[in-house]
Amino acid sequence: MRDETVGDMLGRRGFSRRGLLKFAIAMTSSLALPPSLAPVMAANLAAARRQSVIWLSFQECTGCLETLLRTDSPTIAGLIFDFISLDYQESLMAAAGSAAELTLRQAVAANAGKYLLAIDGSIPVADGGVYSLTGGRTNVSMLQEFAPGAAAILAIGTCAAYGGIPKAFPNPTGAVGVEDVILDKPIVNIPGCPPIPEVLSGVLVYFVSFGRLPDLDDQKRPLAYFGTTIHDQCYRKPFYDQGKFAKSFDDEGARQGWCLFELGCKGPTTHNACASLKWNDGTSFPIESGHGCLGCSEPDFWDQEGGFYTSLAGGTGPGWRNAGIAAATGVALGAAAAIAARRKVP
Amino acid sequence: MKQYDFLGDDLVVNALLMEVADLLGGLIEQGRGGSIDLLGLPLSAKCMAAVEARLGDGEVSASLHVSGESVVRETAFAGVWWTRHADEAGRVTALLIEVAEVPEILRASLVDVRAGQLRLREMVAR
Repeated sequence: MRDETVGDMLGRRGFSRRGLLKFAIAMTSSLALPPSLAPVMAANLAAARRQSVIWLSFQECTGCLETLLRTDSPTIAGLIFDFISLDYQESLMAAAGSAAELTLRQAVAANAGKYLLAIDGSIPVADGGVYSLTGGRTNVSMLQEFAPGAAAILAIGTCAAYGGIPKAFPNPTGAVGVEDVILDKPIVNIPGCPPIPEVLSGVLVYFVSFGRLPDLDDQKRPLAYFGTTIHDQCYRKPFYDQGKFAKSFDDEGARQGWCLFELGCKGPTTHNACASLKWNDGTSFPIESGHGCLGCSEPDFWDQEGGFYTSLAGGTGPGWRNAGIAAATGVALGAAAAIAARRKVP
Repeated sequence: MKQYDFLGDDLVVNALLMEVADLLGGLIEQGRGGSIDLLGLPLSAKCMAAVEARLGDGEVSASLHVSGESVVRETAFAGVWWTRHADEAGRVTALLIEVAEVPEILRASLVDVRAGQLRLREMVAR
Protein backbone atom coordinates (compact mmCIF):
# COMPACT_ATOMS: atom_id res chain seq x y z
CA MET A 1 0.00 0.00 0.00
CA ARG A 2 2.93 2.36 0.67
CA ASP A 3 3.73 2.57 -3.07
CA GLU A 4 0.22 3.39 -4.24
CA THR A 5 -0.43 6.98 -5.22
CA VAL A 6 -2.58 9.32 -3.20
CA GLY A 7 -5.06 9.33 -6.08
CA ASP A 8 -5.32 5.53 -6.08
CA MET A 9 -5.70 5.46 -2.33
CA LEU A 10 -8.44 8.10 -2.36
CA GLY A 11 -10.19 6.33 -5.24
CA ARG A 12 -10.12 3.06 -3.31
CA ARG A 13 -11.94 4.87 -0.53
CA GLY A 14 -14.58 6.27 -2.85
CA PHE A 15 -13.21 9.81 -2.98
CA SER A 16 -13.67 11.26 -6.47
CA ARG A 17 -11.19 13.36 -8.43
CA ARG A 18 -13.78 16.10 -8.31
CA GLY A 19 -13.47 15.99 -4.53
CA LEU A 20 -9.71 16.25 -4.84
CA LEU A 21 -10.07 19.23 -7.16
CA LYS A 22 -12.39 20.90 -4.67
CA PHE A 23 -9.82 20.32 -1.94
CA ALA A 24 -7.11 21.80 -4.17
CA ILE A 25 -9.27 24.86 -4.89
CA ALA A 26 -9.63 25.45 -1.15
CA MET A 27 -5.92 24.95 -0.58
CA THR A 28 -4.85 27.33 -3.36
CA SER A 29 -7.15 29.91 -1.80
CA SER A 30 -5.68 29.25 1.65
CA LEU A 31 -2.12 29.41 0.31
CA ALA A 32 -2.84 32.61 -1.66
CA LEU A 33 -1.92 30.84 -4.90
CA PRO A 34 -3.61 31.68 -8.21
CA PRO A 35 -6.85 29.65 -8.56
CA SER A 36 -5.57 28.46 -11.94
CA LEU A 37 -3.04 26.29 -10.06
CA ALA A 38 -5.80 24.21 -8.45
CA PRO A 39 -6.06 21.63 -11.28
CA VAL A 40 -2.25 21.33 -11.31
CA MET A 41 -2.19 20.85 -7.55
CA ALA A 42 -4.96 18.23 -7.75
CA ALA A 43 -3.13 16.34 -10.50
CA ASN A 44 0.17 16.46 -8.58
CA LEU A 45 -1.49 15.29 -5.37
CA ALA A 46 -3.20 12.43 -7.20
CA ALA A 47 0.13 11.28 -8.65
CA ALA A 48 2.13 11.71 -5.42
CA ARG A 49 3.15 8.99 -3.01
CA ARG A 50 2.28 9.58 0.63
CA GLN A 51 4.89 11.87 2.19
CA SER A 52 6.83 10.39 5.08
CA VAL A 53 6.79 12.63 8.15
CA ILE A 54 8.92 11.91 11.19
CA TRP A 55 7.84 13.98 14.17
CA LEU A 56 10.10 14.52 17.16
CA SER A 57 8.86 16.24 20.31
CA PHE A 58 11.44 18.09 22.36
CA GLN A 59 11.08 20.63 25.18
CA GLU A 60 7.34 21.27 24.78
CA CYS A 61 3.91 21.10 26.42
CA THR A 62 2.18 19.00 23.68
CA GLY A 63 -0.17 21.92 23.04
CA CYS A 64 0.97 22.09 19.41
CA LEU A 65 0.12 18.44 18.78
CA GLU A 66 -3.17 18.82 20.63
CA THR A 67 -4.32 21.71 18.49
CA LEU A 68 -3.37 19.93 15.28
CA LEU A 69 -5.16 16.73 16.22
CA ARG A 70 -8.28 18.34 17.58
CA THR A 71 -9.12 20.53 14.64
CA ASP A 72 -12.77 20.24 13.71
CA SER A 73 -12.16 20.82 10.05
CA PRO A 74 -12.84 17.40 8.52
CA THR A 75 -11.84 18.30 5.01
CA ILE A 76 -8.42 19.64 5.85
CA ALA A 77 -7.51 17.53 8.84
CA GLY A 78 -8.91 14.33 7.43
CA LEU A 79 -7.33 14.67 4.05
CA ILE A 80 -3.95 15.77 5.24
CA PHE A 81 -3.46 12.47 6.99
CA ASP A 82 -4.27 10.81 3.69
CA PHE A 83 -1.44 12.71 2.03
CA ILE A 84 1.20 11.97 4.64
CA SER A 85 2.50 8.91 6.36
CA LEU A 86 3.19 9.86 9.95
CA ASP A 87 5.93 7.30 10.48
CA TYR A 88 7.01 8.34 13.95
CA GLN A 89 5.35 10.38 16.69
CA GLU A 90 6.03 9.32 20.26
CA SER A 91 2.78 10.59 21.79
CA LEU A 92 0.56 8.94 19.20
CA MET A 93 2.26 5.67 18.35
CA ALA A 94 1.50 2.47 20.20
CA ALA A 95 5.10 1.35 20.36
CA ALA A 96 7.30 2.41 23.28
CA GLY A 97 10.85 1.93 24.48
CA SER A 98 13.21 0.01 22.22
CA ALA A 99 10.38 -0.87 19.82
CA ALA A 100 9.73 2.85 19.26
CA GLU A 101 13.43 3.50 18.72
CA LEU A 102 13.54 0.70 16.16
CA THR A 103 10.54 2.19 14.38
CA LEU A 104 12.29 5.54 14.19
CA ARG A 105 15.47 4.06 12.72
CA GLN A 106 13.52 1.98 10.20
CA ALA A 107 11.48 5.00 9.09
CA VAL A 108 14.59 7.13 8.69
CA ALA A 109 16.39 4.41 6.70
CA ALA A 110 13.42 3.70 4.44
CA ASN A 111 12.91 7.37 3.60
CA ALA A 112 16.47 8.68 3.68
CA GLY A 113 16.73 12.07 2.01
CA LYS A 114 12.97 12.25 1.47
CA TYR A 115 11.24 12.52 4.82
CA LEU A 116 9.98 15.71 6.39
CA LEU A 117 11.30 16.15 9.91
CA ALA A 118 8.67 17.83 12.10
CA ILE A 119 9.84 19.27 15.40
CA ASP A 120 7.77 20.68 18.21
CA GLY A 121 9.40 22.09 21.31
CA SER A 122 12.60 24.02 21.81
CA ILE A 123 16.05 22.50 21.99
CA PRO A 124 17.88 23.00 25.30
CA VAL A 125 21.61 23.30 24.69
CA ALA A 126 22.90 24.44 28.13
CA ASP A 127 25.03 21.95 30.04
CA GLY A 128 25.29 19.61 27.09
CA GLY A 129 21.53 19.57 26.52
CA VAL A 130 20.77 17.44 29.59
CA TYR A 131 17.52 19.26 30.42
CA SER A 132 15.42 17.29 27.94
CA LEU A 133 16.09 13.67 27.04
CA THR A 134 14.28 10.96 25.09
CA GLY A 135 15.42 7.41 25.66
CA GLY A 136 18.48 8.80 27.40
CA ARG A 137 19.44 10.96 24.42
CA THR A 138 19.51 14.74 24.38
CA ASN A 139 17.19 16.59 22.04
CA VAL A 140 20.08 18.37 20.40
CA SER A 141 21.88 15.10 19.57
CA MET A 142 18.69 13.61 18.09
CA LEU A 143 18.12 16.70 15.98
CA GLN A 144 21.70 16.60 14.74
CA GLU A 145 21.36 12.93 13.88
CA PHE A 146 18.05 13.02 12.04
CA ALA A 147 18.20 16.42 10.32
CA PRO A 148 20.79 15.44 7.67
CA GLY A 149 18.50 12.77 6.18
CA ALA A 150 15.49 15.07 5.94
CA ALA A 151 14.29 16.78 2.78
CA ALA A 152 13.21 19.73 4.91
CA ILE A 153 12.39 20.54 8.52
CA LEU A 154 9.10 21.84 9.87
CA ALA A 155 9.56 23.77 13.11
CA ILE A 156 6.04 23.56 14.54
CA GLY A 157 5.07 26.07 17.22
CA THR A 158 6.94 29.05 18.62
CA CYS A 159 9.19 26.88 20.81
CA ALA A 160 10.59 24.93 17.86
CA ALA A 161 10.75 28.05 15.72
CA TYR A 162 12.36 30.51 18.14
CA GLY A 163 12.77 28.85 21.53
CA GLY A 164 9.38 30.06 22.77
CA ILE A 165 8.43 30.03 26.43
CA PRO A 166 11.33 27.78 27.53
CA LYS A 167 13.64 30.48 26.14
CA ALA A 168 12.00 33.18 28.28
CA PHE A 169 14.34 35.05 30.61
CA PRO A 170 16.41 33.76 32.34
CA ASN A 171 16.29 30.73 30.00
CA PRO A 172 17.87 28.27 32.44
CA THR A 173 18.02 25.41 29.91
CA GLY A 174 19.61 27.43 27.12
CA ALA A 175 16.56 26.79 24.91
CA VAL A 176 16.88 27.67 21.21
CA GLY A 177 14.91 27.08 18.03
CA VAL A 178 15.69 24.56 15.29
CA GLU A 179 17.36 27.10 13.03
CA ASP A 180 19.89 27.89 15.77
CA VAL A 181 21.10 24.29 15.63
CA ILE A 182 20.62 23.24 12.01
CA LEU A 183 22.12 25.62 9.48
CA ASP A 184 22.20 23.62 6.26
CA LYS A 185 18.64 22.40 5.67
CA PRO A 186 15.49 24.05 4.32
CA ILE A 187 13.49 25.03 7.41
CA VAL A 188 9.97 26.39 7.60
CA ASN A 189 8.85 27.95 10.87
CA ILE A 190 5.17 27.56 11.73
CA PRO A 191 5.06 29.57 14.95
CA GLY A 192 2.16 30.19 17.26
CA CYS A 193 1.43 29.13 20.80
CA PRO A 194 -0.17 26.96 19.55
CA PRO A 195 0.12 27.22 15.75
CA ILE A 196 -2.95 27.30 13.52
CA PRO A 197 -3.69 23.77 12.20
CA GLU A 198 -4.64 24.97 8.72
CA VAL A 199 -1.18 26.53 8.31
CA LEU A 200 0.53 23.18 8.85
CA SER A 201 -1.98 21.57 6.48
CA GLY A 202 -1.23 24.20 3.85
CA VAL A 203 2.53 23.76 4.12
CA LEU A 204 2.28 19.96 3.92
CA VAL A 205 -0.06 20.05 0.93
CA TYR A 206 2.19 22.55 -0.83
CA PHE A 207 5.24 20.35 -0.26
CA VAL A 208 3.48 17.19 -1.45
CA SER A 209 2.10 19.04 -4.50
CA PHE A 210 5.18 20.92 -5.66
CA GLY A 211 8.10 19.16 -3.95
CA ARG A 212 9.37 22.24 -2.16
CA LEU A 213 8.50 24.57 0.67
CA PRO A 214 6.24 27.57 -0.01
CA ASP A 215 7.62 31.10 -0.14
CA LEU A 216 8.80 32.25 3.28
CA ASP A 217 9.27 35.60 5.00
CA ASP A 218 12.48 36.77 6.69
CA GLN A 219 11.56 34.71 9.79
CA LYS A 220 11.18 31.59 7.63
CA ARG A 221 7.38 31.65 8.01
CA PRO A 222 5.05 30.85 5.07
CA LEU A 223 4.25 34.19 3.48
CA ALA A 224 0.72 33.17 2.58
CA TYR A 225 -0.19 32.99 6.27
CA PHE A 226 2.29 35.36 7.89
CA GLY A 227 2.54 38.05 5.21
CA THR A 228 0.25 40.46 7.04
CA THR A 229 -0.23 41.42 10.66
CA ILE A 230 -3.15 40.48 12.87
CA HIS A 231 -3.96 44.19 12.96
CA ASP A 232 -4.16 44.43 9.15
CA GLN A 233 -6.97 41.89 9.09
CA CYS A 234 -8.62 42.66 12.41
CA TYR A 235 -12.33 43.40 12.38
CA ARG A 236 -11.67 46.04 15.10
CA LYS A 237 -9.26 47.97 12.86
CA PRO A 238 -11.93 50.50 11.79
CA PHE A 239 -12.12 51.57 15.46
CA TYR A 240 -8.34 51.98 15.53
CA ASP A 241 -8.59 54.15 12.42
CA GLN A 242 -11.26 56.24 14.14
CA GLY A 243 -9.22 56.54 17.35
CA LYS A 244 -11.74 54.58 19.43
CA PHE A 245 -9.92 52.54 22.08
CA ALA A 246 -11.08 50.50 25.06
CA LYS A 247 -9.33 51.83 28.19
CA SER A 248 -10.06 48.83 30.40
CA PHE A 249 -11.54 45.37 29.84
CA ASP A 250 -14.91 46.35 31.26
CA ASP A 251 -15.48 49.90 30.06
CA GLU A 252 -18.02 51.12 27.55
CA GLY A 253 -15.45 50.98 24.74
CA ALA A 254 -14.72 47.31 25.45
CA ARG A 255 -18.46 46.57 25.38
CA GLN A 256 -18.74 48.37 22.04
CA GLY A 257 -15.93 46.24 20.61
CA TRP A 258 -13.46 49.10 20.24
CA CYS A 259 -9.79 48.56 19.49
CA LEU A 260 -7.71 46.88 22.25
CA PHE A 261 -4.46 48.65 21.33
CA GLU A 262 -4.26 50.60 24.59
CA LEU A 263 -4.84 47.39 26.56
CA GLY A 264 -1.63 45.96 25.18
CA CYS A 265 -2.81 44.26 22.00
CA LYS A 266 0.24 43.22 19.94
CA GLY A 267 -1.76 42.81 16.73
CA PRO A 268 0.08 45.63 14.91
CA THR A 269 3.45 43.89 15.25
CA THR A 270 2.32 40.25 15.06
CA HIS A 271 2.31 38.31 11.83
CA ASN A 272 -0.18 35.45 11.77
CA ALA A 273 -3.50 34.43 10.23
CA CYS A 274 -5.65 34.26 13.39
CA ALA A 275 -7.90 37.11 12.25
CA SER A 276 -8.72 35.43 8.94
CA LEU A 277 -8.55 31.66 9.62
CA LYS A 278 -9.64 32.00 13.26
CA TRP A 279 -9.82 29.11 15.75
CA ASN A 280 -12.15 26.32 16.78
CA ASP A 281 -13.53 25.66 13.33
CA GLY A 282 -13.60 29.35 12.46
CA THR A 283 -15.48 30.39 15.59
CA SER A 284 -13.34 33.32 16.75
CA PHE A 285 -9.86 34.39 17.78
CA PRO A 286 -8.51 36.02 20.98
CA ILE A 287 -9.31 39.61 19.97
CA GLU A 288 -12.86 38.57 19.08
CA SER A 289 -13.12 37.10 22.58
CA GLY A 290 -12.18 40.44 24.09
CA HIS A 291 -8.47 40.00 24.80
CA GLY A 292 -5.60 41.60 22.96
CA CYS A 293 -3.18 39.61 20.84
CA LEU A 294 -0.15 38.40 22.84
CA GLY A 295 2.06 38.23 19.77
CA CYS A 296 2.74 34.51 20.28
CA SER A 297 3.99 33.90 16.74
CA GLU A 298 6.83 36.41 17.06
CA PRO A 299 10.29 35.62 18.46
CA ASP A 300 10.75 36.30 22.20
CA PHE A 301 7.10 37.25 22.66
CA TRP A 302 7.19 36.29 26.34
CA ASP A 303 9.93 38.80 27.14
CA GLN A 304 8.61 41.79 25.22
CA GLU A 305 9.24 45.08 26.90
CA GLY A 306 6.42 46.23 29.17
CA GLY A 307 4.57 42.89 29.22
CA PHE A 308 1.32 41.77 27.65
CA TYR A 309 -0.86 44.58 28.99
CA THR A 310 1.27 47.58 28.14
CA SER A 311 0.43 49.37 24.91
CA LEU A 312 2.95 49.18 22.09
CA ALA A 313 3.03 52.97 22.43
CA GLY A 314 4.04 52.64 26.10
CA GLY A 315 1.96 53.67 29.12
CA THR A 316 0.94 51.89 32.27
CA GLY A 317 -1.58 49.33 31.03
CA PRO A 318 -5.23 48.89 31.94
CA GLY A 319 -6.91 49.65 35.25
CA TRP A 320 -6.54 46.30 37.00
CA ARG A 321 -8.84 47.10 39.90
CA ASN A 322 -11.85 47.25 37.61
CA ALA A 323 -10.68 44.28 35.59
CA GLY A 324 -10.35 42.26 38.79
CA ILE A 325 -13.88 43.16 39.83
CA ALA A 326 -15.13 42.21 36.38
CA ALA A 327 -13.33 38.88 36.54
CA ALA A 328 -14.69 38.15 40.01
CA THR A 329 -18.20 39.05 38.84
CA GLY A 330 -17.75 36.73 35.86
CA VAL A 331 -16.66 33.86 38.10
CA ALA A 332 -19.62 34.43 40.43
CA LEU A 333 -22.09 34.55 37.54
CA GLY A 334 -20.52 31.44 36.04
CA ALA A 335 -20.86 29.57 39.33
CA ALA A 336 -24.48 30.68 39.69
CA ALA A 337 -25.23 29.53 36.15
CA ALA A 338 -23.58 26.17 36.80
CA ILE A 339 -25.64 25.66 39.96
CA ALA A 340 -28.82 26.62 38.11
CA ALA A 341 -27.96 24.21 35.31
CA ARG A 342 -27.38 21.35 37.75
CA ARG A 343 -30.77 21.99 39.31
CA LYS A 344 -32.39 21.29 35.93
CA VAL A 345 -30.92 17.82 35.78
CA PRO A 346 -33.61 15.35 36.87
CA MET B 1 -17.53 59.75 5.51
CA LYS B 2 -20.27 57.46 4.24
CA GLN B 3 -20.10 59.01 0.77
CA TYR B 4 -16.35 58.41 0.70
CA ASP B 5 -16.88 54.79 1.72
CA PHE B 6 -19.47 54.34 -0.98
CA LEU B 7 -17.21 55.91 -3.60
CA GLY B 8 -14.35 53.65 -2.48
CA ASP B 9 -16.49 50.52 -2.67
CA ASP B 10 -17.85 51.53 -6.05
CA LEU B 11 -14.36 51.95 -7.45
CA VAL B 12 -13.32 48.55 -6.13
CA VAL B 13 -16.42 46.89 -7.60
CA ASN B 14 -15.82 48.51 -10.98
CA ALA B 15 -12.15 47.50 -10.97
CA LEU B 16 -13.14 43.92 -10.21
CA LEU B 17 -15.73 43.86 -12.97
CA MET B 18 -13.19 45.26 -15.42
CA GLU B 19 -10.89 42.39 -14.48
CA VAL B 20 -13.73 39.98 -15.24
CA ALA B 21 -14.21 41.65 -18.62
CA ASP B 22 -10.48 41.22 -19.35
CA LEU B 23 -10.69 37.52 -18.44
CA LEU B 24 -13.63 37.20 -20.84
CA GLY B 25 -11.40 38.72 -23.51
CA GLY B 26 -8.87 35.96 -22.88
CA LEU B 27 -11.60 33.32 -23.16
CA ILE B 28 -12.88 34.76 -26.42
CA GLU B 29 -9.51 35.30 -28.09
CA GLN B 30 -7.35 32.52 -26.71
CA GLY B 31 -9.87 30.06 -25.31
CA ARG B 32 -8.42 30.59 -21.85
CA GLY B 33 -10.34 32.37 -19.12
CA GLY B 34 -9.32 32.44 -15.48
CA SER B 35 -10.55 32.81 -11.93
CA ILE B 36 -10.60 35.45 -9.22
CA ASP B 37 -10.28 34.26 -5.63
CA LEU B 38 -12.67 36.54 -3.76
CA LEU B 39 -11.58 35.31 -0.33
CA GLY B 40 -8.07 36.47 -1.14
CA LEU B 41 -9.19 40.06 -1.76
CA PRO B 42 -9.72 42.58 1.04
CA LEU B 43 -13.36 43.11 0.09
CA SER B 44 -15.94 44.34 2.55
CA ALA B 45 -19.18 42.37 2.83
CA LYS B 46 -20.89 45.31 1.15
CA CYS B 47 -18.44 45.17 -1.74
CA MET B 48 -18.89 41.44 -2.14
CA ALA B 49 -22.68 41.79 -2.20
CA ALA B 50 -22.42 44.60 -4.74
CA VAL B 51 -20.25 42.50 -7.07
CA GLU B 52 -22.63 39.55 -6.79
CA ALA B 53 -25.66 41.76 -7.40
CA ARG B 54 -24.18 43.47 -10.45
CA LEU B 55 -23.17 40.16 -12.02
CA GLY B 56 -26.72 38.91 -11.48
CA ASP B 57 -28.19 35.50 -12.30
CA GLY B 58 -27.87 33.54 -15.55
CA GLU B 59 -29.30 30.42 -17.10
CA VAL B 60 -27.39 27.69 -15.29
CA SER B 61 -27.10 26.69 -11.67
CA ALA B 62 -25.61 23.49 -10.30
CA SER B 63 -25.07 22.19 -6.82
CA LEU B 64 -22.45 19.56 -6.00
CA HIS B 65 -22.39 17.37 -2.95
CA VAL B 66 -18.78 16.41 -2.55
CA SER B 67 -17.02 16.92 0.79
CA GLY B 68 -19.65 19.52 1.60
CA GLU B 69 -21.83 21.53 -0.72
CA SER B 70 -20.66 23.57 -3.68
CA VAL B 71 -22.82 25.85 -5.77
CA VAL B 72 -21.83 26.86 -9.28
CA ARG B 73 -24.05 29.52 -10.81
CA GLU B 74 -23.70 31.24 -14.14
CA THR B 75 -24.14 34.97 -13.85
CA ALA B 76 -26.10 37.19 -16.23
CA PHE B 77 -22.93 37.26 -18.34
CA ALA B 78 -22.34 34.06 -20.29
CA GLY B 79 -19.10 32.37 -19.31
CA VAL B 80 -18.90 34.19 -15.98
CA TRP B 81 -19.60 31.86 -13.03
CA TRP B 82 -20.08 32.55 -9.35
CA THR B 83 -18.73 29.53 -7.46
CA ARG B 84 -19.03 28.90 -3.75
CA HIS B 85 -17.40 25.89 -2.09
CA ALA B 86 -18.17 24.86 1.50
CA ASP B 87 -16.77 22.04 3.60
CA GLU B 88 -18.76 19.42 5.46
CA ALA B 89 -19.19 21.80 8.40
CA GLY B 90 -20.72 24.39 6.06
CA ARG B 91 -17.75 26.72 6.28
CA VAL B 92 -16.93 28.52 3.02
CA THR B 93 -13.55 27.28 1.77
CA ALA B 94 -13.43 29.09 -1.56
CA LEU B 95 -15.43 31.80 -3.29
CA LEU B 96 -14.54 32.36 -6.91
CA ILE B 97 -15.56 34.26 -9.99
CA GLU B 98 -14.67 31.85 -12.76
CA VAL B 99 -14.47 32.76 -16.42
CA ALA B 100 -14.80 29.61 -18.49
CA GLU B 101 -17.12 27.86 -20.93
CA VAL B 102 -17.70 25.29 -18.17
CA PRO B 103 -16.03 25.43 -14.73
CA GLU B 104 -13.55 22.60 -14.26
CA ILE B 105 -15.29 21.33 -11.12
CA LEU B 106 -18.38 20.38 -13.19
CA ARG B 107 -16.46 18.17 -15.60
CA ALA B 108 -16.31 14.47 -14.84
CA SER B 109 -12.73 13.26 -14.52
CA LEU B 110 -11.81 10.38 -16.85
CA VAL B 111 -10.43 8.56 -13.81
CA ASP B 112 -13.87 8.69 -12.21
CA VAL B 113 -15.53 7.84 -15.54
CA ARG B 114 -13.43 4.69 -15.87
CA ALA B 115 -14.22 3.69 -12.29
CA GLY B 116 -17.91 4.31 -12.99
CA GLN B 117 -17.80 2.21 -16.15
CA LEU B 118 -16.29 -0.66 -14.18
CA ARG B 119 -18.92 -0.42 -11.46
CA LEU B 120 -21.69 -0.27 -14.05
CA ARG B 121 -20.46 -3.38 -15.85
CA GLU B 122 -20.12 -5.22 -12.56
CA MET B 123 -23.64 -4.22 -11.61
CA VAL B 124 -25.08 -5.49 -14.90
CA ALA B 125 -23.10 -8.74 -14.67
CA ARG B 126 -24.49 -9.56 -11.24
